[in-house]
Amino acid sequence: MEMIIAGLLDSISPASLMFVFVGVAIGVLIGAIPGINGPMAIALFIPVTYYMSPLTAIGFLVGLNKGAFFGGAVSAVLLRTPGTPEAAATSWDGYPLTLQGKGEKALRMALYSSVAGDFISTVVLIVIAAPLAAVALFMGPAEIFALISLALTVIAGIGTNSICRGLMAAGLGILVGLIGTEPVTALPRLTFDVYQLGSGLSLIPVAIGLLAFSEILLQLERFTGKGGVEHSTKFSTKREDRMLSLKEFFANTKTLLRGSLIGIGVGAMPGLGAPVASFMSYDQAQKRSNHKEEFGKGRLEGIGASESANSAVVGASLIPLFVLGIPGNLAVAMLMGAFMIHGMQPGPLMFKENAQLMYGIYGSLLLASLFLLVIGRFGLRFFCKAVDIPAMILYPIVVFTCIMGAYLGKSSMFDVGVMLTFGFIGYFMRKFDYSYVAFLIGFILAPEWERALQQVVIISEHDTFMFFQRPVAMILMALTLFVISRTFWNGIKDDRKKQKEAAAEAGQHKGD
Amino acid sequence: MTRIKRDSIAYLVIAGFCVVMLSWAIPTYTPAYPGYGASPALVSNVAVGVILFMACLSLVRIGLALYLNKPIPDSESKFPEDINDEGGFTQIGRVKLDHLARIMIPCILLVIAIEYVSYIFTAFIFLMIFQFAIGSRNWLTSISVSVILTAVLYIVMRYGFGVPIPGPQLF
Repeated sequence: MEMIIAGLLDSISPASLMFVFVGVAIGVLIGAIPGINGPMAIALFIPVTYYMSPLTAIGFLVGLNKGAFFGGAVSAVLLRTPGTPEAAATSWDGYPLTLQGKGEKALRMALYSSVAGDFISTVVLIVIAAPLAAVALFMGPAEIFALISLALTVIAGIGTNSICRGLMAAGLGILVGLIGTEPVTALPRLTFDVYQLGSGLSLIPVAIGLLAFSEILLQLERFTGKGGVEHSTKFSTKREDRMLSLKEFFANTKTLLRGSLIGIGVGAMPGLGAPVASFMSYDQAQKRSNHKEEFGKGRLEGIGASESANSAVVGASLIPLFVLGIPGNLAVAMLMGAFMIHGMQPGPLMFKENAQLMYGIYGSLLLASLFLLVIGRFGLRFFCKAVDIPAMILYPIVVFTCIMGAYLGKSSMFDVGVMLTFGFIGYFMRKFDYSYVAFLIGFILAPEWERALQQVVIISEHDTFMFFQRPVAMILMALTLFVISRTFWNGIKDDRKKQKEAAAEAGQHKGD
Repeated sequence: MTRIKRDSIAYLVIAGFCVVMLSWAIPTYTPAYPGYGASPALVSNVAVGVILFMACLSLVRIGLALYLNKPIPDSESKFPEDINDEGGFTQIGRVKLDHLARIMIPCILLVIAIEYVSYIFTAFIFLMIFQFAIGSRNWLTSISVSVILTAVLYIVMRYGFGVPIPGPQLF
């Protein structure tokens, strides 16, 4: 109990309050800029947190992530340019409302739905993470190894249309993650005699390169030589078009609750992510609505369904991180990196070793929800202006921030080179449909995976049947094989379907 | 070049990379087995093995489809530039080398030059060149953005975070 009170008191210290507030504000602002999303913002701002205490750093980054989730709705509603895939469903009903001059009303609905989904999922996280972590403490290296193997195979499917390419990206991420000092012999491995690689590649330059710089390279394709795109949004001055009444909001209570539950369920499972939650919730809302035909034409229910679900993912996705030390999505993978940078290994032991800090983080999570409501409520007009920043001013700022962000970690220009290299690799990965998400998660999990394997081999004294003596590990390995075979089977079925469609189309052309 | 052709070349390059890694890089740059635990090369060999297997599997799949004369799905027979992929994570399309060069070359020059010239001078020149490369032709805006950004980051790094500024110091 003392720990809980001390942790919560830490979270309301002036420094912590200020940084959570600033994090949410920057997150909304950044999320509102098309093309910049939560994980990218976290990657850019992790170097800044080197100079903060662990609680303020994590509070700041969590606030940033929560803010960016809502911020993504701003550009989705006003411009139909969802910066993130999860905001796509929000734009379906948000943008038609903007065209009717009701953009502000749509944004208010998005804000209140986001806050509701986020708050509910944070409460669920607080209630269930610690008891689950207590169970997870009984897991040994064999179970951890099996669990990371399962997570890697599940995650390989994210961000690509092909499981083969996903596994290749995850494999490459693992390989890159192994560069540095080998844990058993303490000798350099895969460093190619480059002394800067002796301590391995830092997460920050790799993440900034893959997430932010490669995205900027892609986005700039639209602008080079064209002078950018200017746009402005018109808002109706009528009060009923701008404000959202209590009646209008509470008419969607069921949808918001359903969306939040979907978001929590999806977020708690590694690998699915916010886009799945928002599309599922939107689909359910449409199917159960009495006004199905109004969806896609500016229905508040559609915005509520999408936003409550995708925001509920934020809190729930921390469950696998806190319970098992597994990042379920990219934003959480970045947060995991931040935890490690501040000397903590995410997982069930955190509740034992850093209990006060954990309760402090819970406090910061709740405060971030409150700040999101306040900042969104009073700063809505200002954030709407963020979508109008000229590209010619925005991109130099982002690119130069990427460069200096990569430099900040070790004050080394070598890291800037690493960032540029991974930006270049990330550009090709996106163009060729290789999942940079799987790469990054493979990169982060590789050292832990290898450590668990080494422990298994050393403890079992090379007994290859050790996994058969650990039932949980055996179930997890069986699940891994099941996920791989099911994904391949689905891939084969998809291929056959596509071939049939292609054959039918070819036949039709001949007939014509 | 259609997407299926481009993907096949990519798989071949990846398979070649894996062969080089397995036959030369991993054995040369991995410490010898110390006699306990797993071999230091085990995980890297497994990772590269998975990549190689997947690349070969994808090649075989494409080869079989062509050999058996099966119809190629629309998404794979198209030219990459014609694919309107808005999936969110990936953006399949043509690689624009001229565009890449326009952005990457100033960045690489910045990394090299900053160590020999000074941060302030290099950053300002880099930002001017970068803005020109992305199509900005308004000199007043370009100069303002370059000066303000260089100065703000200098102040933040030097006085905010107290980190050493790269390259020789003017001030």
